[in-house]
Amino acid sequence: MNTPTPSVCKANSSAGILLIGSVSWALLGAGLQVLATTQLLVPSLSYLLPIPWIGYGHLAPLVSFLFTYGWISSGFLGVLLILIPRISGIPFRYGRLLTSAAILWQFAVLGGLAEILWNGSTGLLSLPFSRSVSVLFFISFLILGTGLTRGLGRSWKSGPLLPRLYLLGGLIAFPLGLGTAELLLRGSLAPGALQIIMQFTWHSFLHHLWLTPLALVLLFQLLPALTGRAAGSLSLGILSWVATITLGGWIGNSLASEGPMPSWLQSAGVVATLLLGVAVLGNTLLFKPLLEGKWEECRRQVALRFFAVGFWSYFASYAWITFLALPGVRQTTTFTMVGQATQALLLFSFYGNVLAGGIYALLPASRSMGWPSHPALAYHFWFTTLGAALLASAYALAGIFQGLALNDPGVPMSTISSYLRPFLVIVLAGQLFWWIGQLAFSSIFFASLLKLFPSVAPVAVFPANRDIPNHPLHPAHH
Amino acid sequence: MKSTQALVLVFLALLFTWAGQVALGFFQVGRLEPILNEETNYPAPPTPSGLAQTGARVFASQGCLECHSLSVRGPSGSADLTRGWGPRRTVPRDYLFREPALIGLSRIGSDLSNAGLRIPESKDLLMHLYNPRQRNPNSTCPPHPWLFDSSLAGPSIENEALPVPTRNWKQLLPSYEAKALVAYLQSLRTDYALPEAPLK
Repeated sequence: MNTPTPSVCKANSSAGILLIGSVSWALLGAGLQVLATTQLLVPSLSYLLPIPWIGYGHLAPLVSFLFTYGWISSGFLGVLLILIPRISGIPFRYGRLLTSAAILWQFAVLGGLAEILWNGSTGLLSLPFSRSVSVLFFISFLILGTGLTRGLGRSWKSGPLLPRLYLLGGLIAFPLGLGTAELLLRGSLAPGALQIIMQFTWHSFLHHLWLTPLALVLLFQLLPALTGRAAGSLSLGILSWVATITLGGWIGNSLASEGPMPSWLQSAGVVATLLLGVAVLGNTLLFKPLLEGKWEECRRQVALRFFAVGFWSYFASYAWITFLALPGVRQTTTFTMVGQATQALLLFSFYGNVLAGGIYALLPASRSMGWPSHPALAYHFWFTTLGAALLASAYALAGIFQGLALNDPGVPMSTISSYLRPFLVIVLAGQLFWWIGQLAFSSIFFASLLKLFPSVAPVAVFPANRDIPNHPLHPAHH
Repeated sequence: MKSTQALVLVFLALLFTWAGQVALGFFQVGRLEPILNEETNYPAPPTPSGLAQTGARVFASQGCLECHSLSVRGPSGSADLTRGWGPRRTVPRDYLFREPALIGLSRIGSDLSNAGLRIPESKDLLMHLYNPRQRNPNSTCPPHPWLFDSSLAGPSIENEALPVPTRNWKQLLPSYEAKALVAYLQSLRTDYALPEAPLK
């Protein structure tokens, strides 16, 4: 990896804006998430305080929006803006334009937040905001994406291929998916049930062809750099990449069970999900040897530990999605809380951990700053990990019980709601843990940006291990 | 692998997804047409009123989809029909005139594909929106009092005023949004036969 040059740092302010936005939106989303679940757990609260904009119907889609577009998308773009000029050695031009685009992305999130809070969601899957907000996202993405593609194209032959391939896939899938969804869903071009097909397609694009490839870029680029080992078979990696890009857009169809979706599309979704499980297994075989015998380093280095958990969460998330696509399971769990379990696994475990690892590994390189060996690092890891585990497992169990009860016509709906209550208590605890972890991260993130800590190092290490390891991402430290 | 090769591969892969779902989807469900019932001379599915279409947007904006689905499954592997959520399973043609077409992914509350059949009276639906616990004390559905306007009652209470106790000679009248939402809920019914989903 190349040493940063002053010209490379042109993109630093845009990356900084995106990352500050990402951390702030995550914090806000986590707080609102707790408020939403509290209302679901104690429905009487909405009778005591009937205010529309803090009601569950507004908060639930808002939280999902903040996490997807505000926290993860903004964060990944920020981390990539630091990473790409460094691996390509090609500085970004038009730094101010990139900064404007980063600000525009934050305005788009803010606009979406205001809209959903005051006017409510549009009801469209993964597209809960108006067309004007979509346009802001689109323009911002075109500028940021063009900047990233330029660095990518010129440095194609230098460095590992797989992260470049995933980045290319993600950068093309996002505008294609969003553009098509906008045209067909809001341009009155798609009649009736086609709108629902399009919603599922966009939902799949957003998660499996945009966020997952970006997370894999960071894993394929940074995990070998942090462990000092090269990823194994390139042909297996390329095969998994082809499968991910080809099948990722079909996964959402397996969420539907009968209803408006033609049955062949649902079957195609199931087959695609099962085949994608094989691709994920291929990537797992590539990542696993990188971490073998690295237990001590994972214990010491913050970034490596987050990446390790992120990688295993990648496997767990897609194994869970594959399990849910199995015909008998799908019939039982459609329209239940297993959907939230999938979201929790993807957002909080997979994307969230990879993003945190990326920030810990790359931010010092761009801001000439360091991380203190502070207990908040451990709080961040343990609280977010425990929170995500509680969330995913409670939602998964709740969903399975809900599905079994829904399929028993003798069980009234009010009884099913009471079945869910104990699980919702665990969900609430998980969300509180995750929020505390995120608070710990925010405190250390902002304090480090403001250079408030007297003693810092470019490599984040947990407090129990104050000896700073040599770090392949920071040659100056050798 | 060259960058151009990778670019072509990505385009082909995404084109496969796009063409498979959007284009083939269009040819299969995008060109569906209503069926004319020769006995009644009405089309099926029926065209919803403009008020009901506005109501669909109110339905979405109030977040009803966070707890309610709009899709009844068939008898194999699901109890939707046994629960009385509809006279038959829903099929793509049922969504023909729905704008926006919504489905929902959660069933904390019951499915609403046939809300118009199950609660036909608009007064009952309005009461449910104002206070769901009036009809069902165990309801987890939140109240929507902001969909109602409080105004001074004249010499007599208006017909559409809610039968709830009020103070200071006031009456509770449904707002335009409440009326639209009720019109939408009443339009949700699949009590017509389709060739692919006959009534039993």
